[in-house]
Amino acid sequence: MNLATYARRNLFRRRGRTILTMCAVALAVLIFCVIRTIVAEWNAGADAAAQDRLAIRHKVSITMQLPRHYVDDVRSMQGQGVKAVSFANWFGAKDPKERVPFFAGFAVDQNTWFDVMDEMQVDPAALADWKKPENKNGAIIGDQLAKAFNVKVGDKMVVTSDIYPGDWDFKVLGIYTPLRRTVDRNTLVFRWDYLTDDPRATFSKDQVGWMVARVDDPGKGPDISKAIDAKFAEKDDQTLTMSERAFQLGFLGGFSAVLRAFDLVSLGILIVMVLILANTIAMSARERTHEYGVLRAIGFPPGHILGFILGESVLVAVVGGAIGMLVTMGLINGMIGPFIEENMSSLFPYFSTPMRVILTAFGAAVIVGIIAGIVPAILASRLKVTDALRRLD
Amino acid sequence: MAEDIVTLKGIDKTFYRGKEPIPVLQKLDLDVPSGSFEALMGPSGSGKSTLLNIIAGLDRPSGGSVKVAGAELSKMSDGELAKWRSQTIGFVFQSFNLIPVLTAAQNVELPLLLTSLGGGDRKKRVETALRVVGLEDRMDHYPRQLSGGQEQRVAIARAIVNDPKIIVADEPTGDLDRKSADDVLTLMEKLNKELGKTIFMVTHDPAAAERASVQRKLDKGALQ
Repeated sequence: MNLATYARRNLFRRRGRTILTMCAVALAVLIFCVIRTIVAEWNAGADAAAQDRLAIRHKVSITMQLPRHYVDDVRSMQGQGVKAVSFANWFGAKDPKERVPFFAGFAVDQNTWFDVMDEMQVDPAALADWKKPENKNGAIIGDQLAKAFNVKVGDKMVVTSDIYPGDWDFKVLGIYTPLRRTVDRNTLVFRWDYLTDDPRATFSKDQVGWMVARVDDPGKGPDISKAIDAKFAEKDDQTLTMSERAFQLGFLGGFSAVLRAFDLVSLGILIVMVLILANTIAMSARERTHEYGVLRAIGFPPGHILGFILGESVLVAVVGGAIGMLVTMGLINGMIGPFIEENMSSLFPYFSTPMRVILTAFGAAVIVGIIAGIVPAILASRLKVTDALRRLD
Repeated sequence: MAEDIVTLKGIDKTFYRGKEPIPVLQKLDLDVPSGSFEALMGPSGSGKSTLLNIIAGLDRPSGGSVKVAGAELSKMSDGELAKWRSQTIGFVFQSFNLIPVLTAAQNVELPLLLTSLGGGDRKKRVETALRVVGLEDRMDHYPRQLSGGQEQRVAIARAIVNDPKIIVADEPTGDLDRKSADDVLTLMEKLNKELGKTIFMVTHDPAAAERASVQRKLDKGALQ
């Protein structure tokens, strides 16, 4: 026997209570992981934003457009670190049959878009086909969208828009492959000239929604941004250039209150976990006060008593946390995640708990174990031996 | 004449209820010779257990000097006292105070976990202690599987496993029937006579006190 034997036996002295507490910790870890997964996947686009890309939009709002010739003006800044420039307009695409609740649709420059956005890989033959003048209504779409619309290369697809009236017919010319897991697989990409030449889109005639510029040196991004904005500072339409990450976060801005709420709920879960565990440990320590008095009497120093109680608290948290980790990996990454990716791919193209979230939850459980156990442990270890021996409850 | 193992001089002990002082021991002197078996009797509230706790290093006097087994206890820190207790004192409590989740052998082994002895040596000592109390065949039994008398004998084995210089017993027969009490007292006599252990026992039971070689009476904080 060693001291751990005693600590281990104590752990299951009240088997039901210990198991229930472990389950509570495991459940808290699971819920914490689910919430942090939602937040992480929501931010995934911004987190994975290319370092060497800048986004250029109208200074007033993303909803305001910029003149098409601005693209050429930025392209002319090659000597100042700009490597390539592409552009796009938000189309506000909708599925007329409502098979997909929401998906992104962009009218883009077919000659440069996939060079700049190189995390979306397209078959070179399909890309060449798409650039041909006769294929003005050609579209490149993500595999999830193709699945939802039940279309393949060569098929027609009809899309409506909440900006531009009527039905818009496209011919699917290619399916892009995501090279990064953060790429949305539900996007419709079509030619900008198809939009701007359409009489229904006079609103966007010779206008672009935003530009994407690839730069030589990501470290010079802020300087290049300033230079681009300075170029248009005296124009009617002024620009606001920012990193792609900042641009992505701008899109998430509308959800910031929800994300903040999720952060608070995560914190609340940790606090509840502390309270549950602290209650259990405090009860255990109180029940064993007399016994700790006996141990002190026969020579165990206060540090051992502190160690027994704190160790028990951390052990319950670690076992509960480990169960929570395993359940998270099995339930979210193995079952719920694939289901969400299959059925809610427009919201969450990927849904799996990152390892950093799982490890954070486990680490939080360990810290919770320490916090929950520290007060009862200190109180019990500081109790006078004679007082502890008198305690019979 | 045997050397004194316990020497108390001018011991005062005062407890406080709020700000009201309650004197329990007053200017108490006591010498206990090494190898003796002493019984301390007295009415409830006379200070018996307080005196026992002071001798055992569990409590500190408000004034006076406590010398036990050559150590001046009043000069020791809590940590030093804990270590001293583990090496010098064997405790026997009224309600046995065995750890319910540990077997008899593991309960006896507990004090040895504070020593540097290896597992093999600890096992030998545990077996010896349980043999002395006649429970070598109950090593793997849990306290709930033992009778009260057997539990107290396991507690005595725990008290002697570290080969302490003095055994302090607080009402060791208080929770036992007459037969079990006699067995325990016989065992204590054996420890005293055959192994030379000094035993200081607090008891209410005149029959138990008669088994000791010296009987003392404490009343209103003073030895009679």
